[in-house]
Amino acid sequence: MVVASVVAHNAYLWWGQRLTADTDILALLPLEQRDLALQSAFTHMVDATQQRLIVLIGAADEADARRAADAYGEVLARHGNLIQSAGRITDQTGSDWLASFEGRRLTLMTPQDEASLRSQPQQFWTGVALAKLYSPFTGPRLTAWQDDPFGLFANWIQARAQETPVRPREGRLFVSDGQRDYIVLPFALQVPVFSVAGQQPVISLLEQARQAAYRVVPKAEVIQAGVILHAAVAGQQAQLEISIISIGSLAGIVLLTWVTFRSFKPIVLITLSIVIGFLGALSISSLLFNGIHIITLVFGASLIGVAEDYGIYFLCKRSGANDGVDSWQLLRRILPALLLTLATSVIGYMGLVLTPFPGLHQMAVFSIIGLIFAWLTVVFWFPTLVHASTLRNQNLLNRYGRWLTRWPLFYYDRRSFLPVASFAGLAVLGWLRLDIQDDIRSLQNSPKNLIDDQLKINKLLDLPAPGQFYLLRGATAETVLQREEILKQRLDRLIDNRQIGGYHAISNWVPSARLQAARRELIGQSVLDENGALLTLAGSLGEDRGWVTATRARLLGASATIVPEDFLKTPAGEPWRYLWIGKVANDGYAAIVALRGVTKDSLPALERAGAGIEGVQWVDKVGGITAILAAYRRYMSWVLLFSYLAVYGLLYFRYRHDSWRVLAPTVLATIVTLTLLGIAGQGLQLFHVLGLMLLLGIGVDYGIFFQEPNSHHDDAAWLAAGLSALSTMLSFGLLGLSRTPPLQAFGLTMAIGIAAVTLLVPCFRKGQSDELMSGI
Amino acid sequence: MLILLNLGLPRAGAAQVEKIQALLAKPKILCGRFDQTKQLAGLKKPLLSNGRFCVVADKGVLWRNLQPFPSTVRLTRDEIIQMQGERVTMRLNAKQEPTVRLMNSVLFSLLAGDLGQLEKLFAVEGNVNKGSWSVTLKAREPGLAKAIGAISLDGGAYVSNITIDEATGDRTRIVFSAIQTGDDAMSSDEAALF
Repeated sequence: MVVASVVAHNAYLWWGQRLTADTDILALLPLEQRDLALQSAFTHMVDATQQRLIVLIGAADEADARRAADAYGEVLARHGNLIQSAGRITDQTGSDWLASFEGRRLTLMTPQDEASLRSQPQQFWTGVALAKLYSPFTGPRLTAWQDDPFGLFANWIQARAQETPVRPREGRLFVSDGQRDYIVLPFALQVPVFSVAGQQPVISLLEQARQAAYRVVPKAEVIQAGVILHAAVAGQQAQLEISIISIGSLAGIVLLTWVTFRSFKPIVLITLSIVIGFLGALSISSLLFNGIHIITLVFGASLIGVAEDYGIYFLCKRSGANDGVDSWQLLRRILPALLLTLATSVIGYMGLVLTPFPGLHQMAVFSIIGLIFAWLTVVFWFPTLVHASTLRNQNLLNRYGRWLTRWPLFYYDRRSFLPVASFAGLAVLGWLRLDIQDDIRSLQNSPKNLIDDQLKINKLLDLPAPGQFYLLRGATAETVLQREEILKQRLDRLIDNRQIGGYHAISNWVPSARLQAARRELIGQSVLDENGALLTLAGSLGEDRGWVTATRARLLGASATIVPEDFLKTPAGEPWRYLWIGKVANDGYAAIVALRGVTKDSLPALERAGAGIEGVQWVDKVGGITAILAAYRRYMSWVLLFSYLAVYGLLYFRYRHDSWRVLAPTVLATIVTLTLLGIAGQGLQLFHVLGLMLLLGIGVDYGIFFQEPNSHHDDAAWLAAGLSALSTMLSFGLLGLSRTPPLQAFGLTMAIGIAAVTLLVPCFRKGQSDELMSGI
Repeated sequence: MLILLNLGLPRAGAAQVEKIQALLAKPKILCGRFDQTKQLAGLKKPLLSNGRFCVVADKGVLWRNLQPFPSTVRLTRDEIIQMQGERVTMRLNAKQEPTVRLMNSVLFSLLAGDLGQLEKLFAVEGNVNKGSWSVTLKAREPGLAKAIGAISLDGGAYVSNITIDEATGDRTRIVFSAIQTGDDAMSSDEAALF
């Protein structure tokens, strides 16, 4: 009944809702739950760019670039439902932009001009105004001369223009690197960037457009950057890996089962338990998490090798038991062992839940539920489906049992000294060579050409770094702006030292009210003073006092106070919306100061620049996550230790003094894995430690199988353990081939570990002498 | 007939440009005196200034305002510098401000009468009468039109007059005289400024 509902739910998910896997890489990263402002800041930085795609089309000649861009745009224009051009330049754009400053030009000036207003005598300013008047070549006329006689507003506009190298020309945006002219084409995607189904049509469309551009101008350069490109590659890679892992694992299991039992029924049964486990995991996980991430599916595919453990155990036991024993009786006998194996596996996967990464939580929940469902299938359905007479073939069973008796046993005496000593020696060697690699950058695995394109575009467009910025907080918007102004003074020094290229801040466009008032007063008292430069100017121009009064009144009238929210609604404010977070619930106001031209070397200086100003927080997302990875690696190592103790406690209930035999192979396997990692030069990271947690959960299962006290040579159990181990090794080995570094780390750790456990576990079975001594 | 006429006009325009280009001398160094009259909307008196200018092919333009007060503007391919005496009052480089190159090439072409270059950005309408010509330029792009407005040039072997009518209502008229060409056209202090 439960199964029926699960199957129905899955059908609904796949056909009804068109559930597609999520490929959002950032969804795997931990959330800043305690700090709303910080979380908003990240969302702002990400949302600003997520649905966008930027294409730069360059050629040595401007005309060629235009033709190529037109060809490119034409291909995309036919698919407005997928992708649309953003940022069209029209005739109105320029005047709309300037109109955003209407009525408040007076208080907009550069810091240099502000300093000059304080320090320079009136004659200086008279000279400036006259030079501006008489010279025919001082750049485009932004305003009538009377509206900006001293050029303060013009200088301010110039300073703002220098925050980006992009310039509009004849309806298009241009940027140049000295050798080539590039046309900048911003696009907004109309399909969700992270849905696998949405990505493919867009990617192929972009390729068509690129070819069209090349046909028109063969030497053109087309550079693309956007989140969708990375997501699509990751999605494709993941889909490939899911196929490889699941098909490979299934094939392996089918083969093993066939070789063992030489009949179809066991294969069908095992596959059934796996399938039900999967469906159950899928439906419940998608309910809990509102969707499934594709990485969870890749990891879940490796579950195949573990979920079949229970089925195999039952079948082997059934095969080895007498015909007289009823299946249900058999089940009752092996139930304690089955329960124990499930419990230890769940403990192993629980390790993933203890990390702050939502992605790992999803993986853990998916795996645990999958195992539980598979287990339930075995416990409830197998006895009815499998009768004593079903499994006839015992050849392999017997042969395996005989072969195993010749496996070396571990004796607690001198015979074991040499192997133990050499083992310890190798372990120490490996341990010494074991390096630690917490840097999150080592987890980045996008294809090189995508990363190169991204870097090139960042450089050409002088884009701000998305992962490092300042978060400013204050009780009111005014406080935030004032704090920004203090920070900017420090950042100016860094610019002078060439440590950063520049910054983007809202206060560049909207000075704090305090600053606006100060400037108004400054201008009124200096150049616009009744007897100041304006008067002298009037003299040179042959104008009278009336003119002076009128001009003064007009200029002072253009000094309305403005607040950030109003500015952001104007056309000029639109590209800066991401900087202003505004009101954060219960926490005042917040804003971002973004940085251009940041290098790794300048990070410490940037951190120092932000220190000491109240309400200013330096945020380094990349460094932050690296620190989290390191902290959790250490934390999980302790958890691992405690888990071993916990598992020992659990085992003690059943095996008393022989518990060490169950645990020992896993312990040794862990040491072997670490040794090999060290010798191979792989840096240890959080995901290796998590893999070791998993190893504990699963390796112990085999120990349990071997220790179950039935007949003293329990060939069935041993066979079960052997088959399980092989299939698990296969699954995780295939996972280790993944191109996603965390999964690769998992897979490698598990594959090596399980292999070691398989080899070592028979060494710890009870020898005959031991049994005689314990009086079985 | 009408179609022929329509087809004829642009060709006629281009032909005019070619004729004018043929008339213009294109010396390597061109120096002379300018008298500038500027009438700003809102100001009663027109502003008068005069000075000397030099246009050097492949180098740039030197514009020295001598009266009513001295100031110098030097344009090269990538830079605009404005100086008052020894002091630099404004300096814009193409690296910081990409539009500098465009502006400078327009100004250079205006002074040298290089209509071929100007045709890329302006619609050129002109007529020729014996040895002299006159031309009106209207910016093709509306944004540029707002910035520069309508320009008219006239002259013979050299550009004699430039009139700039700006969208804000300001009008500038520059008259060139005492034109000299050749290596000795530039005085030594002018050459030093380059």
